[in-house]
Amino acid sequence: MTARVLKSADDLETRLVDWLSRCALGDRQAFRQLYDATSPRLLGVVAQMVGRGALAEDLLQDVYVRIWKAAGQYRAGAGSPMAWMAAAARYRAIDHLRSRGARPEVAIADLPGHAGIEDGDDDPTQRMPDPGPGPATSFEAQSEAEAVNWCLGTLQGSQQQSISLAYYQGLSHGEIATHLGAPLGSVKTWVRRGLIALKTCLERCGWSEARS
Amino acid sequence: MNLMLGDLPDRLAAEYVLGTLTGGARRRFDALLPAHPALRNAVAGWETRLLTMALKAVPVQPSQRTWTSLEDKLGWTPAAKPSSSLRLRLWQAFATVATLAAVVLGTATHTVSTEAPMIVVLHATKGTEALVAGLSADRRQISIQPLQKVALTSDQSLELWALKKDGPPASLGLIASDKLTAVDKHALPKDTKGLAVSLEPLGGSPTGAPTGPVLFVGELTL
Repeated sequence: MTARVLKSADDLETRLVDWLSRCALGDRQAFRQLYDATSPRLLGVVAQMVGRGALAEDLLQDVYVRIWKAAGQYRAGAGSPMAWMAAAARYRAIDHLRSRGARPEVAIADLPGHAGIEDGDDDPTQRMPDPGPGPATSFEAQSEAEAVNWCLGTLQGSQQQSISLAYYQGLSHGEIATHLGAPLGSVKTWVRRGLIALKTCLERCGWSEARS
Repeated sequence: MNLMLGDLPDRLAAEYVLGTLTGGARRRFDALLPAHPALRNAVAGWETRLLTMALKAVPVQPSQRTWTSLEDKLGWTPAAKPSSSLRLRLWQAFATVATLAAVVLGTATHTVSTEAPMIVVLHATKGTEALVAGLSADRRQISIQPLQKVALTSDQSLELWALKKDGPPASLGLIASDKLTAVDKHALPKDTKGLAVSLEPLGGSPTGAPTGPVLFVGELTL
């Protein structure tokens, strides 16, 4: 990632905040700009969980109705606007999955950033996306994404798998247990410990709480 | 299994964002969010932490149909007549406001006027939302109700203003963003030609004049 790309990412963030605040005042044009700038990403998030096609696009409409109606609840400084919108997309997809109980087959090997299905005793360094100098020495904006990737890579295999299945596929504890052939209690522990380890690692990397 | 699990609100927020908080627990957590800023902050923190994972999803360009359907869902289709449901809500709000104004009139004034209360619709300066206000005939009692809940953050208030023919707007006080407010502390100035609602810091304008954007405005036509 170059500094130029980072700058444009920051610019986008500023524009997203501006569009959201104008949406809160009922500005439809700002909403259209927000939609154009973010809908491919959000549809990607939804499609990953429910599959591509008409259903994903229907859910995407619900997501933007929600964003339009709740734009005033987004507070600049309380997390990134893209995180807020991506979360809205995930919540809608999760609601759909839970209400229907139906989901596309999970292909674990297809999960982005997934390092393999081996149990937790493989070499953890293989899961580190970048063995480079460590996130704390990089640009601030760059280091955030880098730190998350790096910290995810430090989780035990079972923790990483459980969190990935929950995050990317919207699986519940029980569904993860079925997929991994593991006891429910173990899955709950992996998820819980994984999240705590992720947060602890990010704090060690200097993750700015002020931002989030 | 009680390892270093961190504090409970943060743990619940993490599992809420991840999606592994399910069923009744998820619904209860959802219900707690509006009134608990600390929980909302914890959720925002986890949404931001996990954003990098969301951005790994391959972007998919939505079809043009998706935008068109979205406009439909928002009620923005070119024939911008109020939908029947909007008309219904308008009439319901009229009825509520008129009833309240009548009750206030009948109980709180010495000389009961037989004139019907006046209804003013305040339209959003941007968008389709509206507020309905009822005025007693002597203009001393105002009741006002948003047709939809107005989205506010925890540090914002809505303030009602009388727009006069001459001079700056006069504050009529704060109003609720989601329910009927009866304003009876301030009589409407005689030369009031309209009502407006502005977005202000919590507790109202610090200066006595509107400081935030005007969200709704309506004219008194009598």
